[in-house]
Amino acid sequence: MGRYAIRRLLQLIPVLLGTTFLINYMVWQLPGDPFAARCGQRPCPDAYINAMRAEFGLDQPIIVQYWHFLKNLLTGDLGVNFNNVSVASQLADSWPITVRLGLMAVAIEAVIGITAGVLSGLKRGGFIDNVITISSLVLLSLPVFVTGFLLQWLLGVQLEWVKPTVSPEAPFSELIIPAFVLASLNLAFTARLTRTSIIENRRSDYVRTAIAKGMTNRRVVGVHLLRNSLIPALTFIGTEVGSLMSGAIITEGIFNINGIGGLLWRAVNDHDFTIVVPIASLLVLVYLLANLLVDLLYGVLDPRIRYE
Amino acid sequence: MSEPTATQDLIQGTPEPTAAAPAKADKPRGLWHDTWDILKRRKIFWVSFALLLVFLVMAAFPTLFTDKNPEYATLARSMEPPSSDAWFGFDLQGRDVFARTIYGARTSIIVGVLATVGTVILGGVIGVIAAYRGRWLDSLLSRIGEIFLGVPYVLGAIIILGSVAPVQSNPGKTMIMTVVILVLAVLGWPVLARIARSAVIQAKHQDYVQAARALGAGPFRIVFKHLLPNSLAPILVYATITIGSYIGAEATLSLLGIGLRTPVISWGIAIADHTRYIRTGAHAMLFPAAFLSLCVLTFVMLGEAVRDALDPKLR
Repeated sequence: MGRYAIRRLLQLIPVLLGTTFLINYMVWQLPGDPFAARCGQRPCPDAYINAMRAEFGLDQPIIVQYWHFLKNLLTGDLGVNFNNVSVASQLADSWPITVRLGLMAVAIEAVIGITAGVLSGLKRGGFIDNVITISSLVLLSLPVFVTGFLLQWLLGVQLEWVKPTVSPEAPFSELIIPAFVLASLNLAFTARLTRTSIIENRRSDYVRTAIAKGMTNRRVVGVHLLRNSLIPALTFIGTEVGSLMSGAIITEGIFNINGIGGLLWRAVNDHDFTIVVPIASLLVLVYLLANLLVDLLYGVLDPRIRYE
Repeated sequence: MSEPTATQDLIQGTPEPTAAAPAKADKPRGLWHDTWDILKRRKIFWVSFALLLVFLVMAAFPTLFTDKNPEYATLARSMEPPSSDAWFGFDLQGRDVFARTIYGARTSIIVGVLATVGTVILGGVIGVIAAYRGRWLDSLLSRIGEIFLGVPYVLGAIIILGSVAPVQSNPGKTMIMTVVILVLAVLGWPVLARIARSAVIQAKHQDYVQAARALGAGPFRIVFKHLLPNSLAPILVYATITIGSYIGAEATLSLLGIGLRTPVISWGIAIADHTRYIRTGAHAMLFPAAFLSLCVLTFVMLGEAVRDALDPKLR
């Protein structure tokens, strides 16, 4: 397993290089001047544009630029944004908040999603099953920002149960609603995946054997059925960490949270893309590592899976 | 890419235990015939089909639903709540929210459908080539797909749209719609390429393909005559659901200010314009949001109904 993990880590390197190159290329080389909007409504003077291009190295060929980016990344130097604020310090301030929000969302996804899926899968066609299937379908069709604005309006403005926006420190209690919003889409998927695999596995031989041996229902479901049905849901939760980060951009924008997403939201509106490249590279790394973690967890859940 | 991943693995719904209707036992029945037989007995299919018709008519002939001009603004009526005169009230500029919501259907459906067509063509071609040629080309294309999947969807769109059509710029109607459609297709192809690839790999070693090859059929004939028709079902189901998620994605991008812009009438823009007035005039935002969600729901429901009907495991 150790060797497998190391080989997978090595395989990450080309994908990571490709992705960061793609991001660098898209941010700096696509048509459109990155400094066009720096001077209000007027076009920028040439002197300013030339100075900025020289400062951010845009006058060099893309390969040289990419080489500088990699060198700086490995030495931990993420550069400054257009206003000369260190990118690394901005990331250090906002990263913990996004991690907290993301972990809460994953916890909500896993706990509520799997519970709902198991409940509806066990009583297929029953009342609870219908309620869960229909509500997950509805949740699935609501874009994240609609769920966000709806809950903000309902709970924050109409009922005044919570504050509509989150304070700068983003304490645990204020993040519950945003985390639920962030989790909502994947929550619905997780519930449906779990339901499907519970329904499929209930017909399998080992469950029949377990029941025939006279085991209690709790043991059959808890030990045999659940463990075997968790793999698809787990895969989904792991591989969707990347899309969770997409959702974080929206959710943090709506609830005014000072995380990575909020940072990105403001950077886009200020048309300052210096911060986009490091954030995007970081998010891609998170995505790839989450996928690796899922692959390693397979072996824990299902001992038949061997790593070669 | 975010929303639509893993959709194809899901099996949903509570299909009635159908006794395969033995109507005409003498005639061999194809997959599509069977599917239709199951579909026409499902309530969820008819509900989503009716909703789809309503949205399509709304997109094609908005004047059937409203005789008001969606561009006509009376600032004096800004943010007036719903009344019997204007069912959904007025927005910030004093425009009729109902008329704008009706006219918004066209934009959303055009973007959703065309972006899906783009995704199917791009992903389908790449997936079929990867599966058919195999070897190094397959690994190369799969790695490239992984790179695209690694970039979170919204982030990729922010990067591309932010460079091509920055927040402050003011591109024309057709221009910005084309750009948004292309961006959605470029970021969405890897999932479809995977579906097409696995469908073709499964079909590739079937006897009928071997037979066609033995009879001297060229790669084009094998792909178009034999592989594609037999791989169509999963692609079709995924495409239907994707239309729904692209409609949501378009609204999300418009909300961020990097998607469609004001001369275009769209649900996403209507929501984006009124997010700051959530305390005083939620109606200008809630009605477009409701239509948007219902439209997404329609496509998702339709896709799932078709998938359930196609899935032999649930029969």
